[in-house]
Amino acid sequence: MQCVVTGGNVKVLAKAVHSLSRIGDELYVEPQEDGLALRSVNSSRSAYACFLFAPLFFSRYSIDRGLDFRCKLAVKSVQTVFRSVATLEKTVEKCHVELDKAKDRLTFTLHCKHGLLKTHNLSYQDTESLQAVFDKDSCANVFRAQSRVLVETVVHFPPSVEEVTVAVSSERMWVRNHVEDEAERSKALLTELCLAADEFDHFAVGAPNSITFCLKELRGLLVFAESTGLPVSVYFHEPGSPVVFSVTDSVLEGNFVLATLSDDHNLQKSDSGGGHAEPPPPPPDDFMNDDIDSYLIAMDTSVVPGPSTAPPSAASRASPAADSRTRKHSEEEEEEERDGNEDPGRPPSKKFRSLFFGSVLPPSPQTSTQPVTTQEVLASDSEDEDE
Amino acid sequence: MKFRGKIIDIACLNHFSRVVTTISKLTKMCVLRLTPDNLFFVLSGKVANGGVGMWCELLQANFFDEYQMEGVSSEFNEICLEVTPENLSRALKTVQNAKYVKIKLTRKHCPCLTIAAELPTLSSVSRVVTHDVPVDIIPKSLWHEFKEPSIPDFDVSIYLPPLKTLKNVVDRMKNLSNFLLIEANMNGEMKLKIQTDLVSVTTHFKDLGNPPWGEDSSQDGGPSHSRDPEDMAEARVDIRKLQQFLMGQQVNPSKAMCNLVHRNVVHLVVLHEDVSLQYFVPAVA
Amino acid sequence: MPLSTQSQAEEEQYVLVANLDNARNLSNILKAIGFKDHAIFTATPNGLKVTVEDSKCVQANAFIQADIFQKFTIKEDLVALQVNLTVLLDCLNIFGGSTVAGISTALRMCYRGYGYPLTLFLEEGGVVTVCKINTEEPEEPIDFDFCSSNVTNKVILQSESLKEAFSELDMTSEVLQITMSPSQPYFRLSTFGNSGSAHYDYSKDSDMMELFRCNETQTNRYKMSLLKPSTKALALSCKVSVRTDSRGFLSLQYLVRNDDGQICFVEFFCCPDVEVDEDL
Repeated sequence: MQCVVTGGNVKVLAKAVHSLSRIGDELYVEPQEDGLALRSVNSSRSAYACFLFAPLFFSRYSIDRGLDFRCKLAVKSVQTVFRSVATLEKTVEKCHVELDKAKDRLTFTLHCKHGLLKTHNLSYQDTESLQAVFDKDSCANVFRAQSRVLVETVVHFPPSVEEVTVAVSSERMWVRNHVEDEAERSKALLTELCLAADEFDHFAVGAPNSITFCLKELRGLLVFAESTGLPVSVYFHEPGSPVVFSVTDSVLEGNFVLATLSDDHNLQKSDSGGGHAEPPPPPPDDFMNDDIDSYLIAMDTSVVPGPSTAPPSAASRASPAADSRTRKHSEEEEEEERDGNEDPGRPPSKKFRSLFFGSVLPPSPQTSTQPVTTQEVLASDSEDEDE
Repeated sequence: MKFRGKIIDIACLNHFSRVVTTISKLTKMCVLRLTPDNLFFVLSGKVANGGVGMWCELLQANFFDEYQMEGVSSEFNEICLEVTPENLSRALKTVQNAKYVKIKLTRKHCPCLTIAAELPTLSSVSRVVTHDVPVDIIPKSLWHEFKEPSIPDFDVSIYLPPLKTLKNVVDRMKNLSNFLLIEANMNGEMKLKIQTDLVSVTTHFKDLGNPPWGEDSSQDGGPSHSRDPEDMAEARVDIRKLQQFLMGQQVNPSKAMCNLVHRNVVHLVVLHEDVSLQYFVPAVA
Repeated sequence: MPLSTQSQAEEEQYVLVANLDNARNLSNILKAIGFKDHAIFTATPNGLKVTVEDSKCVQANAFIQADIFQKFTIKEDLVALQVNLTVLLDCLNIFGGSTVAGISTALRMCYRGYGYPLTLFLEEGGVVTVCKINTEEPEEPIDFDFCSSNVTNKVILQSESLKEAFSELDMTSEVLQITMSPSQPYFRLSTFGNSGSAHYDYSKDSDMMELFRCNETQTNRYKMSLLKPSTKALALSCKVSVRTDSRGFLSLQYLVRNDDGQICFVEFFCCPDVEVDEDL
């Protein structure tokens, strides 16, 4: 394999590597006929990302036909090649990527200003193809927005926030931080944003529901999207099946596939409700026409401090004014979450499921409509056994 | 018990946010007292036990365009909440460009101060963000712990030099030592000293001026006139506590002063137009 | 106690008095060699040399010529003292080391002699700080015996181009290998880290190369941990001269321009790590 990247595309390649480094420790490189694929997966296999750079992205792209080559290498070492991303555009004129099978080396050569030549010979390991199972096209909920819209949403959540919940109705999207632990909830800052459909370039909700996923990987993609100015598309179906964030232009495609928390209770509820789609959640706190009384809290302060120690549901019921018009949606959720925690048959904490066949999947067509939930059995270390 | 406030003016919002950030630098937890006219951030210092104390007072009318509150009863028209100022600060920081910000006491999964803001967007529709900051409601029986501290019976009262200069000096001294000796007299002189095995450093400030706690003032505790103006009062303090105070000062105040009770306590007072902040650092042996 | 009003009598007690209108001109260059706590000061009528060493393998010298100071009075041919450099730097920056134009810290540095502290008087905006830094028994700096007559290869580069390389160095590599040669690759920096090797080649015709004088091909390795501290000096400098002698010893000379446009030098000596196989 030999490929040459020039000009601004060097920075695009570098940014892609940096955003993949937010996912996992290893970078999977696979030269394909339809372009160069760079992939990464996190250790728990709940997040996967892939960039495919079309041959046209390169000023030269040649692969050895018939030779099924793919390898993985430490993403950190590839990051060293593109260490100074900020100045790359100004300093690097050309980047060669070349495979030396004989020496087991992947060589990155940067031709820089002032005649400086940087050569990085990176060692790699052979590997099977890394593929995730996802199908964007069958997703009921599809959105597309300028990266800035999402960046300005994510910015409201401090870096300490690990997971967010996204709920959608036909007109709006709510994003809030997910706090698993009931005890944490009475201490943690809870943030919720409400985005109107108008903020999006495309907003299609076929299945109004809510999903919870990790923010870290999304932040990684947004860095890429922001620097390339590409809009971001979001695809998801239901809790437990993955959410896909995509960026595309004529010469590249990036897909970030993140597992979402499975929400068995949710499913059961809507099933028992006769299978009809849940009505979209009302705007949680509509401050446009709020009425002060509905937000008042009635409380006897002569009682010892912590009303927070009282069970939340009981407390909400003690406040009929609030009950009647606020956040049916979120209250329900609180109960569900509490129920969930009390359920002994359920794993107590994180419920993200593995997304992948890992390296055992044949390299060919990657999309599958098979429900992801059946892939749970795959252990995260299956990849090691292959070697 | 009800509380609801609204800030529209962006300058007021920024100012309020800065005050809260200052408080968040000083303490992890504090008490927010709401009265019809004022907001108070209180850290009831067990100064006697070596802790710091804080009292910050804001006139609500200078910040809020709307402000409605109903206390526990008409007789005790106050609300007393324990808050994490860091959470409040974080919430306010993300809404700095809001069209308006509403702050209200709400009943969510637990009592919260809910900060809701309408943010401008690229599209014609604005975006609403809400932050629920969990609070604990403090029962009336404990309110006495959060009353305004009395001005200590100080030996010397002196204006502070520019806080930035003070911060630079204290930051460096912190690198060199854990304790700092503050000396000051009624002749406008102040010295900061550290002494270790490796080095001794003394910074001399002069012509700082002494606040007129005047004869007409009801302040009995003011320095007696018999005191020799050259006579230094001193207090040795944990540098970190002083550093913490200086770190939080984001804007130069209209007045900043230091009241020293000889070998007992350092009482720092910072006055802005509409905010006053008092900070008590206990002396160590 | 403004600096200017210090009495004549007091002044006479000192064997060394050095005044500087802008303390940053001293603190910046000392920061560049601040990789170890102990600094040996050697003052002569020509100026001040400050030496820091590590592991007997690397030595950094900062030279501040007498005329950099507004006043430099020395009563003996040579005054040597040793102080804790970290402490000295904190003292010199007591007022924050402002970079705002028009605000600077004035410095008077005084030393009475053996056994006395090094005394600094610093003044900014009418505020005076007095620091008494205890001195230590001065050690004898190592003589690396690097003389220009033994220099085999020498290049002078604009620092800009080396800064990039040093900021990107693969720190998992134990050594930095420097190749200098009259033929290709001319001037090469190499690392051998966990994930592979990297080579940075500078063309001898590059506009960054101010001087290229290589007589024979030499490849030497230097411990990364010893060379990495020189990055601070590099960052401050505008030009750097890289020289090796016949023993493979390395000399890095950094030309540093201070706030007032005056020139000072920082020099690093480093001994080579081990003999190198040619085919690496």
